[in-house]
Amino acid sequence: MKIYQYLLAPALLVVISSAAFASSPRSQIVDFYRQQAGEDFSAERGKQLFSTRHDGGKPETPSCTTCHTSSPKNTGKTRVGKPIAPMAVSRNADRYTDLKKVEKWFRRNCRSVLGRECSPREKGDFLTFMINQ
Amino acid sequence: MLGKTGRITNPEPAGKILVWDLPTRLFHWSLVLATSSAAITGFLAPEWWLNIHVWSGYIIIALVVFRIIWGFAGSPCSRFASFLFSPAQTISHLRSLLNRKPGHFTGHNPAGAIMIFALLAILAAIGISGLVTLGGQENQGPFAGFTSFAAGHTARELHEILATTLLFMIAGHLIGVFIESCLLRENLVRSMFTGMKTAYGNPKDLASHPQSSILAAIIVIILLLAGATTIWALGRIPASGIIAMPANSTYSSECGDCHSAFHPSLLPAASWRQIMTSLDDHFGEDASLDQQTASKIASFLDHYSAEHWDTEAANNLRHISAQNPLIITASPYWQHRHSNISDDVFKQKNVGSKSNCDACHADAQTGLFADQMIKIAPVQINQKP
Repeated sequence: MKIYQYLLAPALLVVISSAAFASSPRSQIVDFYRQQAGEDFSAERGKQLFSTRHDGGKPETPSCTTCHTSSPKNTGKTRVGKPIAPMAVSRNADRYTDLKKVEKWFRRNCRSVLGRECSPREKGDFLTFMINQ
Repeated sequence: MLGKTGRITNPEPAGKILVWDLPTRLFHWSLVLATSSAAITGFLAPEWWLNIHVWSGYIIIALVVFRIIWGFAGSPCSRFASFLFSPAQTISHLRSLLNRKPGHFTGHNPAGAIMIFALLAILAAIGISGLVTLGGQENQGPFAGFTSFAAGHTARELHEILATTLLFMIAGHLIGVFIESCLLRENLVRSMFTGMKTAYGNPKDLASHPQSSILAAIIVIILLLAGATTIWALGRIPASGIIAMPANSTYSSECGDCHSAFHPSLLPAASWRQIMTSLDDHFGEDASLDQQTASKIASFLDHYSAEHWDTEAANNLRHISAQNPLIITASPYWQHRHSNISDDVFKQKNVGSKSNCDACHADAQTGLFADQMIKIAPVQINQKP
């Protein structure tokens, strides 16, 4: 055995463990909402938020599914027909990695669909659902 | 034939001779083909045939140039001098036609002569007005660098009036050929193929020897090369009315997330301003942006709105719909230009909606919307919902 092999093994260990435990941008965003909400999130409630027909906002967009289809794994469609990348993290690894963008779309779409801003708990539930999808 | 006094004298037929030399005949039938192609693509074909229309026009101009040179250098009956008649001679010939006893002419008769000169003149005028139209309205061709949209618009009207007039003149030409053929009992159409036609008087005077073929060929080639070079060089001047617009990633990503990022020249500044101040209710959706992003986009749109361009799209779309001043597709011009396209085309999967300009206009992102770049998205059959 050469000396570098003794060095390589611990080095690899450090790299792997840091990747596993370092908080990813996505989990940082979930943490951000958890701090605001002060409670744990539920994927089940997130699913409900996604699938329910709210009718609270603009008549053109009664629910999330109007544009995102009934499954977050599907490619959605904006009202003018432009494709929307799937919401599910399993289908789109870029999702929920930029807090500014996440906040922008929650602000817009909660107002459009629910007619109000979403609470931190709703946002966290929604993200938890999408991350598990 | 006309005597020196202008009176019609009718010499006896003296057998068939070669009256129309080969270059004149080739010119005639090439002109028929090129004019037919220009007329069909101009009057009937959809916009995206524009290139064929323009090339037909260039060929017509080249043919007219050749014919003018040949009018001095060709064989006797092709030379202008052989069919320049005085008004008195012309009137006298027309009278003889009314009496159904037309005077005998080996080459062009006075009525035909007027038609030849008129046709050459109108074809040249149609060609030039066409190039001005192309430069002004489409920002293309040799005149694009210095022709305004307004000038192109005027040229287009002239081009259309002249082209319609040409159709009537062609009809007149054909009727004339038919009448003369009947009255003289000679198939003049066949003569234009074979070149052979009955000679009157002394055929030796009219023997078909071009004056100076080689010189004519050299002059024609030089003129055409000079013309083509000039057109090519002028075509390299950047089109006027198109301003340099740097790519704006904020605009294209923020707005392009939901719909195509429309070229800013497609709406006037007032409409863009109104859109940017009402993003929280953007056609039935909340499209609000943070202040910094919004003002960045607003100033970009303000800077490159329809007022700043002299393109066909900008000039026409700046006349917005009174009811829907924010909707590009509601403008009278947009509606008019898309009236032939069925709703099925817009609804299908590969288009999505009327707001997807890029689906059929390959150059939508440039704001130019050139006729040649239109490709109507094919209607898809059995598409999945």
